[in-house]
Amino acid sequence: MSFRSRNRELDDEIAAHVRMALRDRLERGEPYDEALRAVRREFGNEAAVKEITRGMWRFTWLDTLLSDVRYALRGIARSPGWAAAVAISLAFGVGANTAIFSLTYAIVLKSLPIPEPSRLIRYGFRNGDQDIGLSGPAYDALRRHQSASTDLLAWSDADLLLDENGHAERVNGAIMSGTGFRVLRLQPVFGSTFGDADDVPGGGARGYQALLSYAWWRSHFQENPSVVGRSLRLNGQAVTIAGVLPPGFDGLVSGNTASIVLPLAFEEVLHAPQPLRKLEGAFWLSVFGRLKPGQSMVSAGANLAAIEPAVRIEADPRQTMMGGFFKGFHFWVESGSGGRSFLRMLYQRPLLILEMLAGLVLVLCSANTALLVLAQMSSRSRQFALRTALGATRGRLFRLVLIEILMLAAAGLALAVGLGWSLARSLMAMLGSIDSTPSIDVTPRAIILAFTAALTVAAALGSGLLSALRISRADPAETLKQGSRTATSRRAAGRWIIPAQVAVSITLIASALLLGASFLHLYLANSGFRSAGLFLADLDLRPARLTDAQTAAAIRRLTSEVAASPGVEAASYLGVPPIRDWWSSGHYFSVDRRGAVHSDMTTWPETVSAGYFQTMGTRLQQGQSFAKGARDSDRTCILSENAARYFFPADNAVGQLVYSGGGTTANDGARLNPEDACRVIGVAENAMVRSLREPPPRMIYKILGDEDAGPRFTIAIRAGNGGQASAALREALRHIAPGEPAPVVHPFSELVDAHLNKERMMIRLSTCFGGCALLLTAIGLYGLLMRSVTQRTQEIGIRMALGASRRSAVGSILGVALRQVAIGLVAGGALAFAAARAMESLLYGISPRDPRIYIGSILVVLATTFLATFVPARRAAGVDPAEALRAE
Amino acid sequence: MLILKTLQWGPQHGYGIIQAVRVSTSDVLQVETGSLYPALHRLERQGWLASEWKQTESNQRAKYYRITAAGKRQLAAEHARWQQLSKAIASIMDRTEEEPA
Repeated sequence: MSFRSRNRELDDEIAAHVRMALRDRLERGEPYDEALRAVRREFGNEAAVKEITRGMWRFTWLDTLLSDVRYALRGIARSPGWAAAVAISLAFGVGANTAIFSLTYAIVLKSLPIPEPSRLIRYGFRNGDQDIGLSGPAYDALRRHQSASTDLLAWSDADLLLDENGHAERVNGAIMSGTGFRVLRLQPVFGSTFGDADDVPGGGARGYQALLSYAWWRSHFQENPSVVGRSLRLNGQAVTIAGVLPPGFDGLVSGNTASIVLPLAFEEVLHAPQPLRKLEGAFWLSVFGRLKPGQSMVSAGANLAAIEPAVRIEADPRQTMMGGFFKGFHFWVESGSGGRSFLRMLYQRPLLILEMLAGLVLVLCSANTALLVLAQMSSRSRQFALRTALGATRGRLFRLVLIEILMLAAAGLALAVGLGWSLARSLMAMLGSIDSTPSIDVTPRAIILAFTAALTVAAALGSGLLSALRISRADPAETLKQGSRTATSRRAAGRWIIPAQVAVSITLIASALLLGASFLHLYLANSGFRSAGLFLADLDLRPARLTDAQTAAAIRRLTSEVAASPGVEAASYLGVPPIRDWWSSGHYFSVDRRGAVHSDMTTWPETVSAGYFQTMGTRLQQGQSFAKGARDSDRTCILSENAARYFFPADNAVGQLVYSGGGTTANDGARLNPEDACRVIGVAENAMVRSLREPPPRMIYKILGDEDAGPRFTIAIRAGNGGQASAALREALRHIAPGEPAPVVHPFSELVDAHLNKERMMIRLSTCFGGCALLLTAIGLYGLLMRSVTQRTQEIGIRMALGASRRSAVGSILGVALRQVAIGLVAGGALAFAAARAMESLLYGISPRDPRIYIGSILVVLATTFLATFVPARRAAGVDPAEALRAE
Repeated sequence: MLILKTLQWGPQHGYGIIQAVRVSTSDVLQVETGSLYPALHRLERQGWLASEWKQTESNQRAKYYRITAAGKRQLAAEHARWQQLSKAIASIMDRTEEEPA
């Protein structure tokens, strides 16, 4: 029954009462006025009666709940310090988990905003950790042969140059095959999409059709709906805006925002004058499919394995790539529900480890909260006993304690959400690299808030249930009788908390030490580059629209002008920037004196300027560097030490010839054309040009030739300081490419830092987790011992009066602590070892079995526990027997 | 308890209950409307009473309360407790009279 109809009924009821009373009096012959007055007097305050009656409708459980809440609030207000400690302790544990989960969700779990994203699969081409895209011919062959997906789509991110009112602006875009919208089942918010008919050179009858992302449409066109049909000038080509994509869709490669999506055929404009679409050796397409009904990822994988041989041949009839460098690569499928994510590949495992460590932190924080709650509740045990004696039921007391804890948990939850969000944002900022800052949204959303809330409640219940049970089970008579003397002596439940905290601390500290040692190994390893005074800048000469030969000439001029600038020692062109996980490979072979052929498909060719070694600081071990003014036509080269040893295992490499192979090992040694060879003039130390985490590749350094030059390259400058380096570059660029904005000059150390982002993030977090673990353990131990000293003051006093020494008093206090710590040490050692094994693949240069790590972390924890026991022990030693007994 | 007892004799409305209590206790006990209606609604919530709208003898609409089976059990329990209590009080009162201070 609704409140209103109930109210009306009450009014009716009372009106009837008054009418009947009045009628009785009238029947007894009282005059009307008098009778009415009498009735009113008798009835009393009508409004008040109604009010009190209405009060009876309220649910009785709500009533008692409210009174419990009020009671809990009073309890919290009485000890605000304790309440804050509980809330903060919970907030920290939950906040850390929220942050890691936000990241995991954004990077690993989030789906594309399309219908049935779980049916989307991604076709890749991988060899171990390297997962590259597909070439155009491979995509075509795969599409012809596969039968698991309804159709396939090909996608590639594209750097677009938007010409607007005479000035050019870079826009992140993408190109997608005409099948794309069908496969994704993606509909525009308005306008139309493009299809197969539009995905042809020139864009077909309608010309190139472009779809805008919702976010870019908002920011660039201020949500103007009349943009459809308007023309845009992209990379010098006019395209027509066909429609606007739904909000939330920002491309298929996570972290790379695609503001404009164009047909794949637009590639002819994008990559002019050398389109990649037909190249067998350009693995640049991200390929997705949508599973047919009844198909699964497993059946798609089986289908792929069956067609792979045919696809490999059709994708590369001459087998120069598939039979060469890419021999070890295989097609595979993975879930495409989240799109393609480089961050996911890089961070899936670290995040799993971090989730694990954060979970341990939560356990620790819950244990700490449990200690706090136990302490507080046992100090209130007399009060609870009194309530029980006065008739409070056990259930009610149980509920009372739980409500108090849940209310603190609510406060903790609010803190945790804020903490988690800001932590997640700062972590996400740390994931950025020099190449790109991932635009990944970690704003708290329903699923994350639900996760946080569930975690908080679980943690609060986990830490409070014990106390609540204890309180509700306590025998009031016992507690009241014993009074304050022994009511809270050694409690069974407290006994597992300290060992658990110690164990978790050891695990977290061992993890931090392992990751730290691994980071130092990477950071301090000889990379083959001298970091101090080395600066790098990425350049893009595409807007100048030069031919290859012009580009090469411009690069040569730029390099020599920069090198001649004040404060600059040397400068060099770099075909492939170092330490960015890029790769480059070629087929080379040598023939030694005995006629044995040494062939390699994975040698890294690096095209450089003559000043390369001086600039990078890579030392020459034999022979000499390139002469100033050396040309590509000199046909000289320099090998890295490992390449020299590979190609000339028995000879001195200097003076020998290295041939470039044709990609098929059948040619090796068959035709020794000096035109295809270069003479080795020097051997340089190994350099970790790809990654600090991998062994250095075999390198062959050559001088930049006319046909090697691309409009996008990196320049390395060795200068006194960054100001001199950027001034030199700015000045030189003004002559060569006037009107181009000066590029950002990064110190090399910054690149190394960015390269080691993952490690740095893990170290920071694990150190922070470990530090907090130590602090919480120390506080927990300190609190426990202090309480035990306070409670046992009389006992100690009596013992001392009977002749016990101070040392035995301290010993009896410390004995308890040390026993618990010892249990924790043993458990912690085992737990830490398990954790170390789990993170083995993230460690470099240190074994998870390294005993120093475990000894170190045990020492750290022991030192901390000694510090924590110091004050309580002194207090125990300082007990004055006379004083203690008098206090009785 | 008084309300429950009164209703044991048959369904009655609020005004009727007041009258009945007054008559049966010869004006010694008076139930205030301010406690009657809250009590009626509370007892109804607890399931000891049920209510319905009916015509009075004087042809007026009024809300009649009727005791339920649960209400009867409650009444029996309360009655027993009351007897115990009143006996206890009586025994104290009697003793006090025997031992004048």
